[in-house]
Amino acid sequence: MTRVKLLMGLAAIAVAIGLWFALTAPPDALQGQYSRLLGIHPPAMWVAFIAFGITALGSIMWLIKKTERWDRLAAASVEVGVIFTAIGLFTGMVWGQAVWGTPWDWQDPRLMSTAVMFFVYLGYLALRSSIDDPNLRARRSAILGMIAVVQVPLVYFSVNLFRTLHQGQSIRPDGSTMPDEMLIAMLVNMGALMVVYVALMVARLDVAKAEAAAAPESTVAGEAVRPPRLNEVEDV
Amino acid sequence: MSETVIVAGTFLISYTLILGYAVHLHLRRRRSER
Repeated sequence: MTRVKLLMGLAAIAVAIGLWFALTAPPDALQGQYSRLLGIHPPAMWVAFIAFGITALGSIMWLIKKTERWDRLAAASVEVGVIFTAIGLFTGMVWGQAVWGTPWDWQDPRLMSTAVMFFVYLGYLALRSSIDDPNLRARRSAILGMIAVVQVPLVYFSVNLFRTLHQGQSIRPDGSTMPDEMLIAMLVNMGALMVVYVALMVARLDVAKAEAAAAPESTVAGEAVRPPRLNEVEDV
Repeated sequence: MSETVIVAGTFLISYTLILGYAVHLHLRRRRSER
């Protein structure tokens, strides 16, 4: 069995355990069944934050070491992080419709900062696909990956910094604001989604390696007629 | 629609997205190995 298949199997088991906890926790007195979304909405956003943190780490390491594997790590983590952010936004909208009576509020700092973060990382992926030179692509995306991560604490602490529809932090240094059963369900799902993240990352890195090995020397159309670069021109 | 259906549907859609991405990676990997 390959490493990816083993990790995907582990992820499926972890998700099944997480779902069991989320679906058997007692419903909230006010929110009813919607409180079960604690098992997907906060864990998905936390995993996205970690993913973007790992992108920043990969970006910084690429700028220091200039080795391809750090660039691959950063790119893979953005892709997976964007998936989890999309899930966080979607589940949040369903929850918002149920609890606030609206899926979206254009003036809400938590919602808007999350949406901006989502689009910035989509922009990161667009930037990567628009540059063919691997070195230039790695450098430019490393700079963006390093800068974009400042949004993570901004999104996370936006509920403390501004007035917002969104509830405050559920887990604070002085303890949790929710009953133990709900807290445990949320943390178990956090663990389950972390296993999913690791499985998807390993699969994505494998794809990147396989594609790099299969790729021709250059994928640039018209490479033969490109103008010489300054560092390629010999002194005469 | 009942609360239970909406919540179950939300979980289902979310995990379908993850599964879809995993399948996409699998197919990309197979294509590059050919």
